[in-house]
Amino acid sequence: MAAGFKIAEPLEYHRSFLKENCRPDGRELSEFRTTTLNIGSISTADGSALVKVGNTTVMCGIKVELTNPLVEAPGKGFIVPNVDLPPLCSSRFRPGPPGEQAQAASQFIADVIESSEVIQTEDLCIERGKLCWVLYCDMMCVDYDGNVLDACIIALLAALKNTKLPEVTINKDTGSTRTSFCVFDDSILIVDPTAEEEGLSTSHLTVVTDEKERLCVVHKPGGTPLSAEKLQECIGRATARQREIQKLVDKVVHSVKTAQ
Amino acid sequence: MAGLELLSDQGYRLDGRKATELRKFQARMGVFAQADGSAYLEQGNTKALAVVYGPHEVRGSRSRIRHDRAVINCQYSMATFSTAERKRRPHGDRKSTEMSLHLKQTFEAAVMTQLYPRSQIDIYVKILQSDGGNYSVCVNAATLAVIDAGIPMRDYVCACTVGFVDETPLADLCYAEEGGGVSSLALALLPRGGQIALLQMDARLHQDHLEALMEAAMTACKGVSKVLDQVVRQHLQEASVPSAE
Repeated sequence: MAAGFKIAEPLEYHRSFLKENCRPDGRELSEFRTTTLNIGSISTADGSALVKVGNTTVMCGIKVELTNPLVEAPGKGFIVPNVDLPPLCSSRFRPGPPGEQAQAASQFIADVIESSEVIQTEDLCIERGKLCWVLYCDMMCVDYDGNVLDACIIALLAALKNTKLPEVTINKDTGSTRTSFCVFDDSILIVDPTAEEEGLSTSHLTVVTDEKERLCVVHKPGGTPLSAEKLQECIGRATARQREIQKLVDKVVHSVKTAQ
Repeated sequence: MAGLELLSDQGYRLDGRKATELRKFQARMGVFAQADGSAYLEQGNTKALAVVYGPHEVRGSRSRIRHDRAVINCQYSMATFSTAERKRRPHGDRKSTEMSLHLKQTFEAAVMTQLYPRSQIDIYVKILQSDGGNYSVCVNAATLAVIDAGIPMRDYVCACTVGFVDETPLADLCYAEEGGGVSSLALALLPRGGQIALLQMDARLHQDHLEALMEAAMTACKGVSKVLDQVVRQHLQEASVPSAE
């Protein structure tokens, strides 16, 4: 009976839960789904990570190659992120060239990498003007249940920590985390939306913070207006989430190192 | 062929296996929530994911609708980080398109499409790590995914790639063996009736050796079918335990 109601009136179905201050899967409005992390599973990639945020699963693989640096920036290497949302992750995606969502996601992650200075591109230079590293970061979603970009960033971070450049030891980078919020019905704020919730919400907000608790990116693409206090609240929650994720990534990286 | 000795005098291969030994097999079914059926399979170092959506209404061109059976749509792709060299074009290139077509033809032979007229079944396979035998691992993974989706099939579809070295057939080739000038043959079999769904060989082989190679391939496929059967039964047992409580 509930299943029929859910399909016929999805908005009412979600509203009835939100009235009780919880969500259909039993979470609180500000609760995140369980996040699990696995690194170094793909041996053909130079660094790899698999992240599951609830049901959303993203796999990130990093390949390093050598190339010539740009003439305008002879002392810098490149980081090339690429987000792939293939048709196997959800029936909403069709086979063919990358759609809007995938391309926008790739660009967003490129911006985050640049603004948060996760990796100093100067570190990727081997010989000024002649040779530098290029890091191809391919994030592939294999199961889409909302909040893909959060999972992508976590996967990217973890994979970068797992990557070893030849002749240069393990990458040192600062950790940054992204938190997604959705606004429902102009006023209710929920965190870590599932695919259905994303589709029904009236606006989105994304906050990226780094480990020094500075803001890197705040992104609110249109939708219903948001007050300044709500924004501050979101930033506070994002910082808390940042600490959780940092602990998780460090724990996993540490366990991999001790296992080797 | 200087350097690599594919089969030593004692009968051991590069990775220590005997000639008829299959690689280590690990599989999980029902790994993804969004898909109707999914499976993850590892054969040695080759890792593949298979996902099935359907049967559902035909999307895209209405001209593809068949009035008496379901249309099977396959897409094979490799992750860019799956090979030693980064793969520039993971899908859309000729090799992927050929593989997709082979997969489609293989499954059209096995799936009972006449039970679902006017609909479409999507099978997506992605190789996460490539170490030889890509086609076979894809077929095995896709079989598990189709079973997980509850779509009826005539029989398991088991596949194996075999090669011929030093007068001996080698079962389940790895990447080094495939490339080393070995005549390789890929076989997809419906084991119970011993019926061949797909046979592919594009290398030079003397006619006299063909029989021995086919025998080895059939035996290897039957071995694979036993493992697949075990995986399915275990998955069903695990799935039925919570509901029994």
